Amino acid sequence: MSHDGKSVSRRGLLKNAGAAGTVGLVGLAGCSEGGDGDGDGDGDGGGGGGDGGDDYPALGNYPIDGDTATFGFNVPKSGPYSSEGEDELRAYELAVEHLNNGGGWVDEFEDLSGEGVLDYEIDFVEGDTATDASAADESASRMVQRDDVIMFSGGSSSAVAIAQQGVAQREKVLFMCCLTHSNDTTGKDCVRYSFREMFNAYMTGQALTPVVTEEYGDDLDFYQLYADYSWGQTQQASMKQFFEEAGWNEVDSVATPLDTSDFSSYLSEAQSSGADVLFLNHYGLDGANSLTDAVDAGIDEDMEIVMPLYNRPMAEAASGAIDGIYGTIAWDSQIDNEPSNQFAEVFGEEYDGRSPSGPAQLAYAQTLQYAAAAERAGTFYPPEVIRELEDYDYDNIGMGEETMRACDHQAQRAIPVVRGLPESEQEGGNFFEIVDITSRDDVGYGCDEGPAAECELGEYGDE
Amino acid sequence: MSLVGELVVLLVNGLQTGAIYVLLAIGLSIILGTLKFVNFAHGALYVVGAYIGLLITQQISIANGQLAEWGFPTLGLGWGFIAALVIVPPIVFVVGLAMERFVARPFYDRPDTDQILVTFGLAIVVQELIHALIGPRSYTYDIPSEIAGGIPFSGPVGVPLSAVTIDVWRVWVIAITATLVIAVYAIVEYTDFGLVVKAGTRDPEMVRLLGIRITRPYLVMFGIGAGLAGVAGVVGAPLSNINPEIGMTILVPAFLTVVIGGVGSIRGAVLGGTLIGMVQVTLISLGTVSLGSLSINFTPWAQVGIYALAVVVLLTRPQGLLGSEEVTA
Repeated sequence: MSHDGKSVSRRGLLKNAGAAGTVGLVGLAGCSEGGDGDGDGDGDGGGGGGDGGDDYPALGNYPIDGDTATFGFNVPKSGPYSSEGEDELRAYELAVEHLNNGGGWVDEFEDLSGEGVLDYEIDFVEGDTATDASAADESASRMVQRDDVIMFSGGSSSAVAIAQQGVAQREKVLFMCCLTHSNDTTGKDCVRYSFREMFNAYMTGQALTPVVTEEYGDDLDFYQLYADYSWGQTQQASMKQFFEEAGWNEVDSVATPLDTSDFSSYLSEAQSSGADVLFLNHYGLDGANSLTDAVDAGIDEDMEIVMPLYNRPMAEAASGAIDGIYGTIAWDSQIDNEPSNQFAEVFGEEYDGRSPSGPAQLAYAQTLQYAAAAERAGTFYPPEVIRELEDYDYDNIGMGEETMRACDHQAQRAIPVVRGLPESEQEGGNFFEIVDITSRDDVGYGCDEGPAAECELGEYGDE
Repeated sequence: MSLVGELVVLLVNGLQTGAIYVLLAIGLSIILGTLKFVNFAHGALYVVGAYIGLLITQQISIANGQLAEWGFPTLGLGWGFIAALVIVPPIVFVVGLAMERFVARPFYDRPDTDQILVTFGLAIVVQELIHALIGPRSYTYDIPSEIAGGIPFSGPVGVPLSAVTIDVWRVWVIAITATLVIAVYAIVEYTDFGLVVKAGTRDPEMVRLLGIRITRPYLVMFGIGAGLAGVAGVVGAPLSNINPEIGMTILVPAFLTVVIGGVGSIRGAVLGGTLIGMVQVTLISLGTVSLGSLSINFTPWAQVGIYALAVVVLLTRPQGLLGSEEVTA
């Protein structure tokens, strides 16, 4: 690495000072990683002057050199969740555009100006998680160390989100979860440096059980297939818990490897089990495949199928197969309120009339939520931004009143329950009808209950 | 579901899974048996077949690929799946001829390790080219539910006397594979061309001394093997996804099929592919079996099962089930 030795020593000193304030191994990691990272970032020694007025020590990638703050967007561009990743990236790019130049929700958020964030222009880098935890870890670490991102975000696959949460906490750089639905993300794997807007499998169970049991009846036997990683496992557990509490009985549950393309053999076993209902706990392309295989094999004629977590790209891929299938979604453009309509409109204008998916809304919302929190804090210093996000009440992202709970960084929010439309009615980008928007009062759990009981958030980094 | 019904579903799924392996293994096995050429790029031919078929069948939108930046946000002819089924094999046949002429032939007399390195490298080049040009995302085929005359083509169809429904496309895959395998077998066994190829396998020097140009039959055999891999790409793709990595994923079971069946043997490839398909599908379908207090879940053992099968065969019949010792020696 060739760079200006003077500026290195200045920044190195700051980094070491920050690291000294933290405790134990985390501090040591931060120190050595920080030393790695500043090779690229500090071309000019004077650029950091703007931060001189802050009273905060260096921490993670704070302070920012120059007058541009960089966000990292780490999405699956390959693997079974790549369609979701593509749509997330569209929304991230839109968010950055609006933060810098106004437009969309930025005009409505009272904390945001549309002239950058804290007088910094926002830039971004992209990464590919490949729907794989170790690839995501590597990509996130590169963003933090080489690109000096001040915040990174991304999602689809909870294993990936959890891996990135590890990077966030270790490096003391904030991670804003996009789509991740495992109970563990804000349960046993929760961290201080990450926030989740998306609900989880536990809450899906709470929202789906009353609707589905009312539709299909009491005392039924069900069979579950689930994706064999963090999300699928907690998804299976939550479905079992809530549907058995409602009087149903799980006959069996079988794990399928992530990135399975042919589910027929797994399905034949489900078909011969004698169960009344089949839960397909698969997501992304895996979900589209398992549902299509199930319908192609005629299983929907013998059993009721439930797809607990759904989204628009999946419905697009499975097309006619989603007819009559119940599930929950993160958000949908059909939800009729001011922020939802506005987001759908600006997204469509930017991308040739395309309707945004739930993951896109999450990506857009999480980027803006971070920026607004930084504005409220008056600094990018991560512990202060975190404190602004904790227990923050908001009603501006299209899902009604919400709270970003401090005890586990899990948004307390409403959940849309949907039913797939037949292919003949899938017009104008609508794939499902919204059956119910389950109020946040009917889902959720206390800080000492459910997944939250296992959550230990860890340190802010300024203790 | 009745026992008969379960067996029908098991048989259809197993044979169909095996059929794809058979289509790939025949090409691999013939090329390895006749030309003594280890072709790790065979999976790339499968990918090429799948992508060409995709572009013939429908129009795809390219999001992350270089082609989008070059002004092709959508690509494809949209002629439908039947057209792809007809057009892809000859195209991949020609690709195979080119591969033989420019990649394989210069390496015929080189050691196996050189052949492996160059073909594996070629497979990576193909994979990464598609990755860069079209992008890493997965695509799925649109496949018609009926063809002309109202014959069911895909989707659920009831099986007589068993009260079960199966995806009829799987039956088509088995039928198409069986037809092609019989055709190739007939060519090799009952034509002069096949005689030359078989003679060349035994003693290429003697065949040359008899005044027969042996390079041309080899070229054609390579092309046929490639064409079959292309067919596998097209018929297999509606049951799975198409992305640049599928060639590498399918290569290993295809080689296992050759190992189990025996190098150079078409009948061996059929037997090996069917065995692997059936073992894999049976283990997945068995699920949890309770024997008294002992409860075993077989599903996660499906992958282990096919390798265990290969191990048993290699230990007891190193030349493969239907392979002859001379060929592997």
